[in-house]
Amino acid sequence: MIGEVSLDGVFVPPLLLLASGAFALTLALRRVLRRLHAYRYIWHAGLFDVAMFAVALFVLAAATVPL
Amino acid sequence: MAANSIAVLAALYIAFALELERPYWAMFSVFIVANPLSGAVRSRAAYRLLGTIIGASAALIMIPPLVQEPPLLCLAMAAWVGVCLWLSLLDTTPRSYVPMLAGYTATIVGLSVVNAPETIFDTAVTRVEEIGIGVICGAVAHSVIFPRNVGAALNDRIALTLRACADWTSHLLSDPEAREESVSQRLAQCVAEIHTLNTHVAFDTSDVPRTSRQIQTLQDRLALILAHLTSAQLAIDAVRARGKIPDPLSALMDPIIRWIRSVAVAPDVLGVADLRPHFVLASSAAQVPDGTRNDDDAALAQIAASHLLTLVAALDEVLQLARAIRDDKIALTPELAQEVHAARPVSLHRDAGLALVSAGAAVIAVLVACAMWIGGSWPEGAVAAQFAAIGCSFFATLDKPSARLGSALTGVLIALPVGALYQFAVLPRVDGFVSLALVLSPLLLLFSFMQTVPKLAGAALVLGITFSGALALQPQYQADFPVFLNTSLAEIVGLLVALAVNLIFRTFDPVWNAQRISRAGWRAIVALVESGSGCARGWPTQMLDRAGQILTRLGSVNAPCAANAESSLLRDLRVAVHITAIRAAEKQLDSALAPRLNAIRHAIACIYRARWQKTSAPTAATLASSIDDGIAALNLQPRSASQIRALAGLAALRADLAEHP
Repeated sequence: MIGEVSLDGVFVPPLLLLASGAFALTLALRRVLRRLHAYRYIWHAGLFDVAMFAVALFVLAAATVPL
Repeated sequence: MAANSIAVLAALYIAFALELERPYWAMFSVFIVANPLSGAVRSRAAYRLLGTIIGASAALIMIPPLVQEPPLLCLAMAAWVGVCLWLSLLDTTPRSYVPMLAGYTATIVGLSVVNAPETIFDTAVTRVEEIGIGVICGAVAHSVIFPRNVGAALNDRIALTLRACADWTSHLLSDPEAREESVSQRLAQCVAEIHTLNTHVAFDTSDVPRTSRQIQTLQDRLALILAHLTSAQLAIDAVRARGKIPDPLSALMDPIIRWIRSVAVAPDVLGVADLRPHFVLASSAAQVPDGTRNDDDAALAQIAASHLLTLVAALDEVLQLARAIRDDKIALTPELAQEVHAARPVSLHRDAGLALVSAGAAVIAVLVACAMWIGGSWPEGAVAAQFAAIGCSFFATLDKPSARLGSALTGVLIALPVGALYQFAVLPRVDGFVSLALVLSPLLLLFSFMQTVPKLAGAALVLGITFSGALALQPQYQADFPVFLNTSLAEIVGLLVALAVNLIFRTFDPVWNAQRISRAGWRAIVALVESGSGCARGWPTQMLDRAGQILTRLGSVNAPCAANAESSLLRDLRVAVHITAIRAAEKQLDSALAPRLNAIRHAIACIYRARWQKTSAPTAATLASSIDDGIAALNLQPRSASQIRALAGLAALRADLAEHP
């Protein structure tokens, strides 16, 4: 994960892009889970969301950057 | 409290680790978003980030072309602050934070780089990054560590309001002498709180179904409870004035009182399986005829029964909605479900004229500070302009912002020496992040604790921000006493300018403002009366909100005046309720009645228009005779529930507007 991504001349760290993507993914997942009333069975929703974000970030990073 | 301190330290640590320019920006962002409710923290964090991005972009656009022309730049900045503040004042939800922040962020970013305009891009990016770190740390810490859900708070508020309503109702019905004081003000406050919480719900961690339409419908219902309650009370008083309450009516009243009491004492109102008063909902006012007495008394008893049934139906709907908000498996009755589906967000009372005055005051304050900066060739004058903008924006919703600005100034004067003590006595001995965290933690814990106490929250915010700003923690320790003194002086001067400008241009007499709000309310009643069948949605919430704002203002000046105003505000609310009830009943009645009812509506509209435009009102006798005509015509119709409802509405209108105008 070295180097920066150029967005129309502005250099952005790739982690920022990945994190924004992971955040969007988390929001979408949260929506689906809420539809399914899954939060009724989750003990600590806030902690769960943070963990879900971490997993999403890892998945995106693993998918885009060769480890 | 622990969550907040951890978030502050985490934000500082990340900002130091990334070697950002001004880590203290991240630090005080945490203080700004802190709130006991986790959903509120998350919404504020999102709004703060968005507002910062907009403000920094505005500075980025304004600085390069204007930096060579200081007067033009100052004008542009002042205009931007004014426009943003105006937009913010027109939004009555917590979302108003976005434009307000966009306004003064532009001054913070833009005016701090005028001596080195080539750094504007870096400064803008740094500002966004640091605010981002701060709000994300705050949002994560508050959601993970002991979160308090908005959903739970909302349910608490609703249950409390409901129990209070049931309590008042049972007292008022069973005890003829009971009179509740300042009830409408308390209820208005509850409805306004529910309105605010409703915005945060979308950001909540809990599993509250996202039911803002149900909450809007509930607000409208709660807003009308008092009108229904006092109408029922007046009708029962009218019956009592003629002697003993006739048996058929008391046979109806007793189960109602029993039901309301059972609601009032239920330990968990929303959890009880089924509290719906089926027996009452099944009965109709037409079942209360009384052959043994003369017709007048029977009509009065029927009218009272009709009002009582309306009250019970309203309370029942409030209960249904409140339970459906807590558990989305509970089905509503079809009519209520339809109404929920049609609900749209409404805005609470807003005043475009006063918003313009506030925005103008902010523009003037920024320009005055800029004039001192340019005219006095004072290098730190930019800070004064920033603080003038912040001071004018923060308290712009109040009638007298100068009072709060004064206390904010006191807070700054307290926090600055403490900051100086840290800056020049403690920090030189600090080496590394761990020791920094240790020396900061006592104060961070103190400020975080103060933020959890509602009374101290405002003071804590001022202390936290000033303290963070005074420390101006940077990656390398660089203390410069003249710079510190100059910057602190500029902060104080900026706030003083804001204070002076607000004292001159933005000090409203609460009574004057209350009258202004009353006039807006009368105008809304005229619109409601004349609007035909498609009446404006959300009017009950707006009316009750206006009543609450009027009463708060009058109550702060003198109490007897507020008590008078309360009864007249309640009367207006009742008039609106009866007008809509008559309109609803009219659909089931003979269309030949329409001209008579229209005449009555016209007369009522004339009365309220005269109040709103301060012209002389037509005499009450005109209205009384047209209402009497209407009642006579209605009496010729066959007895039915809607006929009695229309009769009850007309009788109540007559009592409220024609007999005691």
